[in-house]
Amino acid sequence: MAVNLEYTPAEPLPPPRSEIGAIGWARANLFSAWYNGVLTVVAALVSILVLWFGLKWVFIAADWTVVVELGGRFILGQYNTEAACPGQNCFWRPQVSLLLVTALLGMAWGTSGNPMARTIALLVGGVAAALAFLPYRLETMGLDVRLLLLANLPALAAGWALARYTSLITLGRVVMLGVAVFVITLALLRGLPGVPGLMPVSVIHWGGLMLNLLLAVAGITLSLPIGIGLALGRRSRLPVLKILCVVFIEVFRGVPLITLLFMSKVLVPLAFPDNFPQEPLFLAGVVITLFSAAYMAENIRGGLQALHPGQAEAARALGLPGWQTTLLISLPQAIRNVIPAIVGQFIALFKDTSLVYIIAMQDLVNIGKVFIQGNTEYLDHARELFIFVAVVFWIFTYGMSWVSDRIERNLGVGER
Amino acid sequence: MTANGNTAAVEDIIICHDVHKWYGNFHALRGITTTVKKGEVVVIIGPSGSGKSTFIRTLNRLEQHQRGDITVDGIELTNDVRNIDAIRRDVGMVFQSFNLFPHLTVLRNITLAPNKVRKLPMHEAEGIAMELLDRVGIPEQADKYPAQLSGGQQQRVAIARALAMQPNIMLFDEPTSALDPEMIKEVLEVMRELAKSQMTILAVSHELGFAREVADRIMMFDEGRIVEDQPPDEFFNNPRHERVKHFLSQIL
Repeated sequence: MAVNLEYTPAEPLPPPRSEIGAIGWARANLFSAWYNGVLTVVAALVSILVLWFGLKWVFIAADWTVVVELGGRFILGQYNTEAACPGQNCFWRPQVSLLLVTALLGMAWGTSGNPMARTIALLVGGVAAALAFLPYRLETMGLDVRLLLLANLPALAAGWALARYTSLITLGRVVMLGVAVFVITLALLRGLPGVPGLMPVSVIHWGGLMLNLLLAVAGITLSLPIGIGLALGRRSRLPVLKILCVVFIEVFRGVPLITLLFMSKVLVPLAFPDNFPQEPLFLAGVVITLFSAAYMAENIRGGLQALHPGQAEAARALGLPGWQTTLLISLPQAIRNVIPAIVGQFIALFKDTSLVYIIAMQDLVNIGKVFIQGNTEYLDHARELFIFVAVVFWIFTYGMSWVSDRIERNLGVGER
Repeated sequence: MTANGNTAAVEDIIICHDVHKWYGNFHALRGITTTVKKGEVVVIIGPSGSGKSTFIRTLNRLEQHQRGDITVDGIELTNDVRNIDAIRRDVGMVFQSFNLFPHLTVLRNITLAPNKVRKLPMHEAEGIAMELLDRVGIPEQADKYPAQLSGGQQQRVAIARALAMQPNIMLFDEPTSALDPEMIKEVLEVMRELAKSQMTILAVSHELGFAREVADRIMMFDEGRIVEDQPPDEFFNNPRHERVKHFLSQIL
């Protein structure tokens, strides 16, 4: 008994509408059961109370004059004080460094055309220029300072135009220029003995956000390659190299950073001859970088471990030598897989830079603390001060999270 | 005499003599002695764990043999790194799980080794890559990433990637085992075409139809040994070993 069934393709239907308006959404998501309803109401009440009292404090009760009073020292610490630069104005040095950075960001945007580079460049240039309009009187913040800040916008534009309309700037050159700018910044801030106008400024007077950023930039750019090297070393088949890397990682990871910083100040002078350069800041920078590199190494190693062994096998089977297999096949995939962990480490490093208070450096946090201690009339307003400091830190760390999120999305092309 | 009638090719391109391999205490290869002539197509079958994959992986030194000698294309496989790299340039390999590089486009997957190892200029390598993509039937996928392709397409890219090094020998390690039936067909089609082009091929595969059609010899591995090594007709109709009949009855 044969039945002829004609084949009719099923019509595709639109997906069911489960969310009908705001009420439907609320019913499905907020009040789907009695206990969810109770939770929603309680959470709403708590949020309203927190917002109410929080905003009331921020806008009415809090006295933010302490932040205004501390002013530029948040950014530069004691850098431009009479003690640091007796008899001359050093303010232009960090400002010129900032100009170089914005020009560099402009170039990065111009060469890559990347919307992320654009956002970062415009944000940094815009904020720098906006600082020129701070409501201080001219004798507190002179015209020269304001003009140099405003010049960040033309510097940005010049960098962008140079990259956009000439073939001088490539991505590789931007990286090289970045290193150069960092060195120039250090030289400008430190000063060169014997050069008029560049009188040396002891690093003891460096401080504020500038100090945190310098340490973070140096730490981040160095700890990643060092960490990669350590991770590869730990996976090496050469026993001596492997043991050295394991010992390094375990020692630096096993000791609190604060202890390492103490030791950098107390032990290193004992271990080296007197004429060994012992700038405490330099040692602190080295310690923070190595500490971070030890964690970085383990992040990267995790990424390498997670790769399918077939990847390296396929590369080797094609005749690629081991180092090219690592460089072109394993590392790019491993690093991509652990970007969240790497950026987490960057953020931790940035926050850890405030531990240099241990060696008596006045970073963003410590400068606030010292100010309060020296000006007891503001003792009641320490809360405002430290909330402000926290917000500044948060803005930078959130910026890093945002960049990492964008990078992940950009790299996500074709992945899984 | 071979099924393809290429009786002229008599040069032995792979010579194995008494090859042994252990994983810890497990004796994976227990004295493999065989030769493969240039242009020959050898299909290797056998139960799981019988050493067939291990065997072809020793041929390009992805696994190290611990006893015996292997000579591939005139080069003896020793610990000498230069020899190993020379052999790997000469021997293409296709894996069960494709192992394409997920962070590179299809085109870049194929041009990578010719560019970095053979030092071909990029435009030349790309020319070869496009020709090969054409040959495996997916030139339009060149700029996609591996994850955007179907399994069958990925395996065809993997074959093109191996061919781009212009190898004299191709090793296939269960190339269709991870594929849906429709995709098996498209991959076998490419392999069939390759077999007819005088390429020396060693393929671990349980596609018996394919083996019957293109193989010059079928080898069966069991417990680290070659238990049968015959032309397809003999192998299927008149196997010398009881073990072969039993295995065939299980997978047919």
